[in-house]
Amino acid sequence: MMEKVRQILGVAAIESAWVRRQPLWIFQSLVFVIGLIMTLFAWGGEAALKNLMVAYLVIGGWSIGLNTIGQIIGWGRINLTYEFFVASPVTLPIYFAGVVVGIMPYLLIQVVPAFVIAAILNVNFSMFALLLPLSATSLLIGTFTSLSIILRLKNPTNISAITNPLLTFFTFLPPVYYPLTALPSMIRPIVIAIPTVSLMEVGRWSAGVPIGCDLTLSLTSFASWLILTIALVVKKLKWGLE
Amino acid sequence: MMGYAFATFELGKNYGKAWGLKDATFHVEQGRLAVLVGPNGAGKTTTVKMLVTVLKPSKGRAEVLGMDVVKDCKRIRKRIAYFPQGFMMNLNLTPEGYIKWNLMARGFPLSEAKLKADEWVKLMGLQYCRNRAGWTLSGGERRKVVVATALASDADVIFLDEPTAGLDVESRHVVWRLVRDIVAKGTTILLTTHDMKEAEMIADEVIVINEGKVLIKDAPQNLIKSLSHRYKVAVKKGSFKSGFSSIYSIDLGDRLIIYANDSREVEGLISRLNDPSSIISIDSVGLEDVYLHLIHGG
Repeated sequence: MMEKVRQILGVAAIESAWVRRQPLWIFQSLVFVIGLIMTLFAWGGEAALKNLMVAYLVIGGWSIGLNTIGQIIGWGRINLTYEFFVASPVTLPIYFAGVVVGIMPYLLIQVVPAFVIAAILNVNFSMFALLLPLSATSLLIGTFTSLSIILRLKNPTNISAITNPLLTFFTFLPPVYYPLTALPSMIRPIVIAIPTVSLMEVGRWSAGVPIGCDLTLSLTSFASWLILTIALVVKKLKWGLE
Repeated sequence: MMGYAFATFELGKNYGKAWGLKDATFHVEQGRLAVLVGPNGAGKTTTVKMLVTVLKPSKGRAEVLGMDVVKDCKRIRKRIAYFPQGFMMNLNLTPEGYIKWNLMARGFPLSEAKLKADEWVKLMGLQYCRNRAGWTLSGGERRKVVVATALASDADVIFLDEPTAGLDVESRHVVWRLVRDIVAKGTTILLTTHDMKEAEMIADEVIVINEGKVLIKDAPQNLIKSLSHRYKVAVKKGSFKSGFSSIYSIDLGDRLIIYANDSREVEGLISRLNDPSSIISIDSVGLEDVYLHLIHGG
C-alpha cells in the first residue's frame, strides 16, 4: 500500500512540475475565482453566490478534468512520457491518480472558495458529503469527455485548441452560472442533456438550491455521459500492448 | 548457466498494411549488453517497443525474463526500465528532481530515491547543473538525465533506444562506462544505435536487423573476423594511375574507400597512386564495414 502511495506521489511530483514552475497561472485562476464571487454577489446576491459555490465544486472538477488532466495525458502520449511509464512498475490507475493529485492545487483554488462561501452563507456543511463525491465524478466525466476526443485526433499537436473551446462552450453558454429556471420550461429537458447542466442540477439539489427539471432526468443524463465517455475512452486508451 | 533475459520467436508487427517488423528471432542471455543495429525503418524501435510491452506483437511472440510480453506484461514491467527514442526529460524539473521523482514513481522510498539521484547526477557528470531547471539545459544534458534515470532504476533488464544520439564524445564515453559497469553487475541491456563504433566498443553481442528481419547475431569481434578484408584505404578519387579498378569499394563522391585483404594489398594500392598524398586514411576494418557488407550484400 505504501509503495503505491509513493508511486502516486512520484508521478504527481513529475506531472505537477509545470504548475509549480508557473505560479502566475495559479494567481490568475485565483483572481478569476475571487472576481466571479464579487461580480455574482453584487448582481445576484446570496442566491447567485450559493449557485457559484455549487459550480466551483462541480464544474471546477469537470473543467480540470476536461482541460488539465485531458491535456496532460494527451501530451504524455505525444512526448513519450506515457510510454516511459508503461514500461515501468507504474500502472494506469497509479498514473491517473498521480496526475489527479498533481493538479490538486488547481482544484483547491475552486474548492477552498466554495467552503468559504458556505461559511459566509452559513449553510449546512453536511451537504459537502454529496457535493465532494459529485465533484470527483465531474472530474472523471470531464477527463473522459476530453480524452474521448483527444485520443481520436489524427494530429493531436494542439490539444488546448480543442479543450479550451469545449470548456467555454460547456461552461458559459448553458445554465451553469445562471439557473436552469431562467430558460423556458419546454427546452429544459433538452438542455439537461448537456453534462455540465445535469451535473449542476444534481449539485443544486444537493445544496438545497432550487432546480429547474426533474432530478431523475439529470441523474440519467450524467450517468449516461459517464458510461458513454468511459466506453469511448476504454476503446482508445490502452496502457501498453497497442 | 544463466537463462535468457529476452527472446523473440518469429516476432512481427504490422501497422495497417505495412510491416514494422516481419520476422525476428533472437535471444540474449542475462548479464549481457546486446546492441541492435540496422538502417532507419529496419524495425529496431518496433522490436524494442514489443519487448517493453508498449506494442502488442501481430505475429510470433516475445519473452522477457522467461515471461510472455502479452500474458505477463504486468510482471515484466516491474523488472524493466526503458528509454524511448528521442525522449526528453520534463523541462520543469531539475536533473536531481527528475531522477528522484521517477525513482519514487517506480516505488523507491523518498530517502533512497534522493540518495540514488544524488549518486547518479554525480556519475553522469551533471553536478554543475543538478539544481537547474530542465529548460536551461542543453539537449545532450537532458538526454543524460533520462538515461541516468533508466540506469538508476535497479531494473533487471534495461532497454535504451538510441540513448547516445546527439551526445558529444566525452558524454558518450561516460554513458558507455556506466552502461558497462551496470552490465558487469548482472543487469542485461538492449541498446539501439546507428553508431557502429559504439556497438563495436560496448557490445557483448550485436544483432543486425534489416527490412524487419534479423540478419545476424554475434560478438562484434567475430563479426569483424568474418569479413574477408582486413584493411580499408580512403583516397581522393582520380588519384590512381590508369587501369585500376576494384569491386570492393565505396563511392563517397570525390573520395573512395577501397578494401584490401592484407597489408601487401594495401602496399599494392599505394604503389598505383599518382600521388601518395592523396591517401586520406588507412584503417583496419571494423563493425561499420561488416554492417555495410551485410546490409548491401557485400
